[in-house]
Amino acid sequence: MITTPNWQDADTFYEQLLDAQADLSPEQIQAFSARLILLLANQMGDARVLADCIAAAREAL
Amino acid sequence: MTYKEVAHTNGYEFTQGGGYELPTYPFVPPPEIGSGAPARHPIVIVGGGITGLTLACSLARLGVPAILIDEDDTVGVKGASSRGICYTQKSLEIFERLGIYEHIAAKGVQWSVGRTYAGHDEVYSFDLRQQGGYRLSQQPPFINIQQFYIEAFLVDRINALGHVQLRWRNRLTAFEQDEHGALLSIETPAGAYQVRAEHVIDATGSASPLRKWLQVPFDSKRGDDRWCIADVRFTTRPPQERHTWIEAPFNENRAVWQHLMGDDVWRIDYQMAPNADPAYVSREDVVRERLARQFGPEVEVEIVWVGPYAYRSECVHAMRHGRVFFMGDSAKVVSPFGARGGNTGVADADNLAWKLAAVMRGRAAPALLESYGDERLEAARENVRVTNRTARFLRPADGIERTYRNAAIALAKRHAFARPLINTGRMAVANPYTRSRACLYGEGSAAGQSVQNVAFAWADGREGRLNQLLDWAAGDLLLLCFGPLSRADRKRLAGLSATAPLRVVQVVGADDAAQCLEHVRDLKGALRDACQAAAGGWALVRPDAYLAAHGRAVNADLVQAIGLALGLTGVNA
Repeated sequence: MITTPNWQDADTFYEQLLDAQADLSPEQIQAFSARLILLLANQMGDARVLADCIAAAREAL
Repeated sequence: MTYKEVAHTNGYEFTQGGGYELPTYPFVPPPEIGSGAPARHPIVIVGGGITGLTLACSLARLGVPAILIDEDDTVGVKGASSRGICYTQKSLEIFERLGIYEHIAAKGVQWSVGRTYAGHDEVYSFDLRQQGGYRLSQQPPFINIQQFYIEAFLVDRINALGHVQLRWRNRLTAFEQDEHGALLSIETPAGAYQVRAEHVIDATGSASPLRKWLQVPFDSKRGDDRWCIADVRFTTRPPQERHTWIEAPFNENRAVWQHLMGDDVWRIDYQMAPNADPAYVSREDVVRERLARQFGPEVEVEIVWVGPYAYRSECVHAMRHGRVFFMGDSAKVVSPFGARGGNTGVADADNLAWKLAAVMRGRAAPALLESYGDERLEAARENVRVTNRTARFLRPADGIERTYRNAAIALAKRHAFARPLINTGRMAVANPYTRSRACLYGEGSAAGQSVQNVAFAWADGREGRLNQLLDWAAGDLLLLCFGPLSRADRKRLAGLSATAPLRVVQVVGADDAAQCLEHVRDLKGALRDACQAAAGGWALVRPDAYLAAHGRAVNADLVQAIGLALGLTGVNA
């Protein structure tokens, strides 16, 4: 799992992420987020990295 | 102490429809009735379902005496005869060895294409024939057939082979065991009797009384998912393909399964609301209305059988408890998705049968029986894990689980990457054994994997297949040596096969000179592929067509592998 910056353009991504959800209801946002997570997970593919990412996301709670 | 109140059935209720005509078998008063002392039988199998009968047939084939008791006098379950329907390549290979495959192939329906829908869109389809794992065997990927047909073929075969007595309307009412043996109390229409046994096999299924009496610990998980099966014959416009719907518009967006079985009977399986009343959903008029919603009001059907069901998952912590071996549903219970119930029961039976036979015939050490637990508990746990995941996909909890399922379905309609997330059942496979004391694992070894029933040519040019070699080995280990053998190798192999229950076969190419051993010709390399063996290497194949080990040279590894596969203690130390 990469935990140091790996972005090409962090600010642009952040803006795109917020814009994409700006006019959505809470249910639509949840559905959007689920689809996005599945798409991003497939970009990574590696089972070990995915497990580490899930664990890291839980740790931040 | 007696336990008469325990029912040995799965308790299907509310059945409707004409049903099937099941064969019935005569009750023959056992010779033990009236005699004072309990009779002795080395092996007693309790339960004549697909698992118990497969074990009985395997023992009969190897000439090992046993008795099988069953409380009923028919195959299937009276009034509820429609159960398992999908049989895997591995099960079909086992049934070929047992001599009933031709009957199954003639009666059943081969299939390889499955299509999955959500709403009106196809989200996923597969063709098993295109998948590499199935291509080597002489048996097809799957055959659909009503379970009771297989059971009936097994009964006929067992009766033809002899050695194993099938005792119908014999009901186990009490059980005890100690270091000297097991004592079974059995009731029949002609009176009660007792039997002493060295080994008892519990094949009584998911409501196993033995598991209760012995207070065997197990893990359990119950879901609230409800289903209703309708087995129907269409008199007008039958459906054309095997389809599954994750969300069927004609079933309130719940799942529906549609499979063809023998006799042109379709199994239509509907997911119900979690709070559905089983008596109401299986009422004939309600079922007809549901069928009309799916197929149109003008389509006429004959209802063969209807039954509601719920499922749970269970798995024992150990496959053996003293003298009792648990197999099939008495060891683990899974949801029906992926055909991991009956097929793994058949594999349990095939695994234990050759080991019991080898031990009873004095050709293996009793310690070999412990490997049954190593191997089949690993399989049971894997099957529980896989089917629980399917159940969770098909009945997601409200909230985020449903959100993710919707996301997966939406993406799968547009993108191939999401299709592996669609889980309507992962079809049963021959489970690999990764931690068995009877297998020798080396770097990159295929030990513990199933070998498909591949074709080769006998020395005289006729076509043969692996099952025939296993048949010829008659319950002994089969050592396949690929390629030329030195004089020293041949001498060592001759020594090994003279002292161990081992049959050695040299496997050569089309034009290679065979040496002094038994040999076959592997014209297309299929046998070597199936054994995942290297040229010049060997593969040690067990009577259940699993690889015990493979290696490159005739050396100490081979000697050790033979020892392990025969349960000789200390060999792996």
